Amino acid sequence: MTATDDVIVPARGSRLIGAWWGPALGVSGLGLVTAVEMERTGAGRETFFNIGQPWAVYVFFSALVGLMIYGFGRHLTLWMIGRPTPGLREQIAHRLRNAVRLGLAQEKIRRDRYAGIMHWCIFSSIVVLTFVTAQVAIDDDLSLHFLRGPYYLFFSFYGDLFGLVGLVGVAMALYRRYFDDFHRIRWDERVEDHLIIWGLGLVLKTGFILEALRIAADELGPHPDWAVWSFVSFGLAHLIMLFRLSTEQLLAVHQWAWWTHLVVAFSWLGLIVFTKLDHIFFAPVNAFLLRTDSPGRLSKIENIEEREVFGVGQIQDFTWKQLFELDACVRCGRCTAVCPANIAGQPLSPMQVIQDLKAHLADVGPAIQRAGNAGHDVRAVSPLAMVGDVIKDEALWACRSCGACMQECPVLIEHVPTIIDMRRYLVMDEARIPATAQAALESLESRGHPWRGTALTRTTWMDGLGDVPIFDGSQEYLYWVGCSGSLVERNLPITQSVFRLLREAGTSFGVLGQEETCNGDPARRLGNEYLYQILAQQLIETFKSKQVQRVITNCPHCFNTFKNEYPQFDGQFEVLHHTEFLARALKEGALVPKHRIDSTVTYHDSCYLGRLNGQYDAPRQILEFLPGATVTEMARSGSRGLCCGAGGGNMWLEEVGERRLNHVRAEEAVGTGAQSVVSNCPFCIQMFEDGIPAVQPQEEGRMRAFDVAELLDQAVLGTGRTP
Amino acid sequence: MHLVVCAKQIPDPETPPAAFRIDAGTNAVVPAAGIKPVLSPFDAQAAEAALRIREQAGEGKITVISLGQGSAQDAIKQVLAMGADEGVLLNDDAFERGDSYTTAHVLAAAIRKLGDVDAVFCGRQAADWDMGQVGLGIAELLGWPCAIVAKDVQLADGAVTVQRVLTDGFETVRTPLPAVVTVSNELGDPRYPKLQQIMQAAKKTVTNWSAADLGLDASSVGAAGSRLRLVGLAQPEAGGAVEIIEGDTPEAQAQALVQALIDARII
Repeated sequence: MTATDDVIVPARGSRLIGAWWGPALGVSGLGLVTAVEMERTGAGRETFFNIGQPWAVYVFFSALVGLMIYGFGRHLTLWMIGRPTPGLREQIAHRLRNAVRLGLAQEKIRRDRYAGIMHWCIFSSIVVLTFVTAQVAIDDDLSLHFLRGPYYLFFSFYGDLFGLVGLVGVAMALYRRYFDDFHRIRWDERVEDHLIIWGLGLVLKTGFILEALRIAADELGPHPDWAVWSFVSFGLAHLIMLFRLSTEQLLAVHQWAWWTHLVVAFSWLGLIVFTKLDHIFFAPVNAFLLRTDSPGRLSKIENIEEREVFGVGQIQDFTWKQLFELDACVRCGRCTAVCPANIAGQPLSPMQVIQDLKAHLADVGPAIQRAGNAGHDVRAVSPLAMVGDVIKDEALWACRSCGACMQECPVLIEHVPTIIDMRRYLVMDEARIPATAQAALESLESRGHPWRGTALTRTTWMDGLGDVPIFDGSQEYLYWVGCSGSLVERNLPITQSVFRLLREAGTSFGVLGQEETCNGDPARRLGNEYLYQILAQQLIETFKSKQVQRVITNCPHCFNTFKNEYPQFDGQFEVLHHTEFLARALKEGALVPKHRIDSTVTYHDSCYLGRLNGQYDAPRQILEFLPGATVTEMARSGSRGLCCGAGGGNMWLEEVGERRLNHVRAEEAVGTGAQSVVSNCPFCIQMFEDGIPAVQPQEEGRMRAFDVAELLDQAVLGTGRTP
Repeated sequence: MHLVVCAKQIPDPETPPAAFRIDAGTNAVVPAAGIKPVLSPFDAQAAEAALRIREQAGEGKITVISLGQGSAQDAIKQVLAMGADEGVLLNDDAFERGDSYTTAHVLAAAIRKLGDVDAVFCGRQAADWDMGQVGLGIAELLGWPCAIVAKDVQLADGAVTVQRVLTDGFETVRTPLPAVVTVSNELGDPRYPKLQQIMQAAKKTVTNWSAADLGLDASSVGAAGSRLRLVGLAQPEAGGAVEIIEGDTPEAQAQALVQALIDARII
């Protein structure tokens, strides 16, 4: 399984499709077999029974089609003000698969089980009932008259079945919207949300009433054995019979009901053009447009030195795909519900960012488009600064780039690249940047590392380790220590542990020592793409001149940069995070744990190894090898893991808001009752070291934070740390 | 309005202590391997002060000058990226191993050569030797008034108004132009340049002036003209002692601690 697959598609996805469609198809199939078994010659009905003006359907239908062409045409002209979207013609097969799996089969939606069932009910009901209606039209228009005999009975059966399924979905939606204490769908609640759900309920109910009236008037008497196939309306028809209406009266009411159903149904379909219902079309298309590379990769600004605008400061600076996906948003709030900044009460809601941009596009898009057509200056059109007025600086800085929003988004919106694009504008175009982040960037520029004020050197960690081999091209692996592994006091024991384990496993490796320089990740995450490109190109040169081919990293951020981002600059290296290497060494027997680690630990997934690169297993496998260690998982773990607080350059930013994120996460770790929290990332460890004392002020019995390697070092060599 | 910013390139003040070496033979600091020199942080603040004044006035030219070797171009470019208009590097072998006096002497000559200068901005001190003499020296040699350790500088109607940082507060002084002002960190963080400016700065050419260009006699500059004699250079021993303050109750401990601090003349 590739990293991309894992991030976009939950592993159990395809099996679930079977599980859901299975019963529905099974029941229908049973219905078909029974229908054939019980064949009655001549079963069927007159299409447009009792309706004098069937042409009305076609008038409404034409109006709907016209409305859609107009509505989507308007959207289209707005998307087109965006810049070209690169790479869309690549990997078409993969994109089509995404459109089916994520768009039509809706794998993401099932990450919330209740919503998954609800949405499937509504979705399948609409699909099947549209098919039912289409058959009626074809049967009549083309005079095929295939709605006869057993198929007619089966048709009646599944029409009612899926009408009922739809009503179940609507009931679930109504319950969640009005009776459940469920917050995220009310964060940005609008009139249309009520209209859509009540409207759909009405369409389904009028459909049943209409059918029941026809059955009461025409079928119940002569063919009760046919009528029973429409099992819902059959029951309703009996209820109607209680009113003892004459056939004439029934026919009159039926006419009214038919018109009501027609008007309600087409009005509801018209909502597609004006409301979030447009996701019916936009979501599968957006799934097709979804990136096919790793979500851990940020876009490269090509020919950066020749550009006039570097980041995205105005709406037309986005690519049209980024504008398109604004329209796909259904305000479900899943992104914001999992956003670490939002969880800590900090000023970022990914959903609001998307919605604000969408509103801004509707506001200024048409004027920008006109100005563009007239050859005027499009940059002078908007009276508001998109970055600053519409989207606040602090929202952009609060993003951890952890990818939780993108992981959850059922319509496949990619929030992080959009946020980083605006950060790039803040930093490179406006130079509007918090002082602490500025200091980190300046340090990167002049010192090649972000750790301003460190008293350590890149070789301090080597003290007491004996002979540390320097990489010269003859070894198999480069062990990349990274700035955090060498210049931050807390992380030195981690680096030393990894080093001792590599040596113990008999690995052929060397380090760069004094020659290491930052690979640029913090610069890129903080929005300084220019500085990132300089640092990246320098390091790729160094790697190439030293004939580096395989790299083992301490830090998941370095790992992600080497693995996913350096190929953008023609730097192709095989990269392993130390947990991947060590897990393999354990399985192969190159490392043998001998010392007991009698402790309960909880494992924290770093976002850059876990969610963004799909590696959840290797660190957990190492923990299983530790004699005496028991692992308790936190509620948020794996692909639902919560950021420690440091991602996206927030290691160097002051937090704004109710709580500090590392306090929130430390609380969750402490809540497991484990004695230690174990992770795989120097940033995470630093955040826990800082966050745990805030949660547990008493030093006695306080939880401790370790890297997986530190515990493994203890288990194998007795030289690591004991929890 | 023509403002001059004096900028010095210094060894990175954040060089880790372990990488800091002194050559006892030549009495000189050995440049740490792999650690690039930087613009003295106070000089970045001096540039910030000049830029704020120009922004407020809406016009004016800012020239940045630096005495140093070729690498000092980077310090000049940094101030150019922040928004200065022109850069002049005072580069001559004869300028090497000078002291605060010869530095002020050369800088004053350059300012004279520039001609129409209204105000000169220096850092309160260079963050390597921390002498704090050059700004005052320039003023003395030019015969201009000087206000040092500024936290705020306003320029209007041919005069400069400076808020000066004192140990127990600050004072406001006003002096006619032309004048020299040395700027302290209390002024606030220097701006982060926009990328567009960095690229424009990279394209600008920096003027080089030698001793001859400035009409200075080689014997009056650098080591030859130096009036300061460096007797010795040594790295201080790092260390400390811990004294545990005793006391029966937290209150008594606190009282004993306060007394100890008073005795040590710390508070």
